[in-house]
Amino acid sequence: MSFELLRTSLSILLQGLVTTLLLSVASIVGGTLIGLFAAVLRSFGPWGTDRIARLYTELFRGTPVLITLMFIYFGVSYFGYAIDVFAAGVIGLSVYQGAYIAEVFRAGIEAVPKGQWEVSQILGLSRTQAFAFVVLPQTGRIVLPPLIGQYLSLIKDTSIVSMIGMSELMHGGQAIVDRIGKPVEIYGLVALIYFVVCFPLSQWVRHHDRRRLS
Amino acid sequence: MNYEWLTLWGYVPEFLKAGWLTLQVTLLAFVLSLVLGLLAALASLSPMAAIRFVARAYVEVIRNTPVLLQIFIVFFGLPSAGIALDAYWAGVIALGLNVGAYLSEVFRAGIQSVPRGQLEAAGILGLERGQIFTEIVLPQAARAVYPAIVNYLIQLLLGTSLLSAIALPELTGTATVINSRTLLYVQTFSVVLVAYLVLSNVLSWIAGQLGARMFHPPLVVRPRARFGGLALRRANRA
Repeated sequence: MSFELLRTSLSILLQGLVTTLLLSVASIVGGTLIGLFAAVLRSFGPWGTDRIARLYTELFRGTPVLITLMFIYFGVSYFGYAIDVFAAGVIGLSVYQGAYIAEVFRAGIEAVPKGQWEVSQILGLSRTQAFAFVVLPQTGRIVLPPLIGQYLSLIKDTSIVSMIGMSELMHGGQAIVDRIGKPVEIYGLVALIYFVVCFPLSQWVRHHDRRRLS
Repeated sequence: MNYEWLTLWGYVPEFLKAGWLTLQVTLLAFVLSLVLGLLAALASLSPMAAIRFVARAYVEVIRNTPVLLQIFIVFFGLPSAGIALDAYWAGVIALGLNVGAYLSEVFRAGIQSVPRGQLEAAGILGLERGQIFTEIVLPQAARAVYPAIVNYLIQLLLGTSLLSAIALPELTGTATVINSRTLLYVQTFSVVLVAYLVLSNVLSWIAGQLGARMFHPPLVVRPRARFGGLALRRANRA
């Protein structure tokens, strides 16, 4: 591969990387909020909302993310509205990963001893206060490694949004291969870029996650 | 009910064929991933640094790049190396390679979960290294890792949807085709969604039954998920 070619390819791919990172950050924020909400509902939700939260997690854990994305992107246009592919990607990834993140948070909430709740109650805290100030901060140590692991798979999953036409890193690679060929070199370069982003995160998770078997 | 659903009724044979193809690819890739995972796990526990390095490199490269990219490299990249595969086998190999890397971590943890004292005791009793592995380590490790393996089987099933990107007519690929023919987006994808839910539930149910019969004492599985595919999240280790 000539130097000139490498330079132009790299500039296209790095532009794609920017979109990939934006998509990742937006979906991480969305997925975490949805996941936390679903976990709280599942553990404490009144009037059957816990069941709805459970249905939500089980539904998205049993179907592919690609189907979620297509459902949102094509489904919205089926009903006569237009949706931006970036928005569809963020919504799809957030809702999908939210289901996995909810399970991570739920495990964290369940790991905090029941006594903590009782003590908070005796000290005069409301249930909400007990959750926000006593239970939630303690879940951090348990929750953080699998949570980062989930973010890692979210970042990799952003590549799937290319299949509904989002021009991010993966799509950039495809575009170059369509134009000039050289799939090994170009996809190798794309892989290298993903690796550089993901490797530090996965190393962090490897060193902090004790529950390796699950 | 309206005409739209009736239109889709005519596509039932195609959906069934696609479902069967999805199942085939899933099971073939699963077998490949079990073999690769076990080999990589053993390699990562090897006394030779070079072998350990190869296993580690395999796992890290796979775990830190998207599976869709891996599918593309196998399908579009391997022909440059003189190995041209059709979408079916490219899919089996790419997904097998992918899940194999994750399984190797699971297997390694499982092998290491067997207390060292047992290995020493077996050695004193006169068992050979190979025997110790197959008779002492493997049965206990298999039990410890079984629920995790089933989770990866379900992940694998869902991952086959990405093979529509290399035009394999599995469930998602077929849905895309029917979609462009009928323009019934919501209905078509609803059918596929249900198909995946059914497949993932059936697979995890079968795995649960197997787990209850294969191990002694039986691996009791708490039937958690009646809906998604992950019924085997926690098994008690009696």
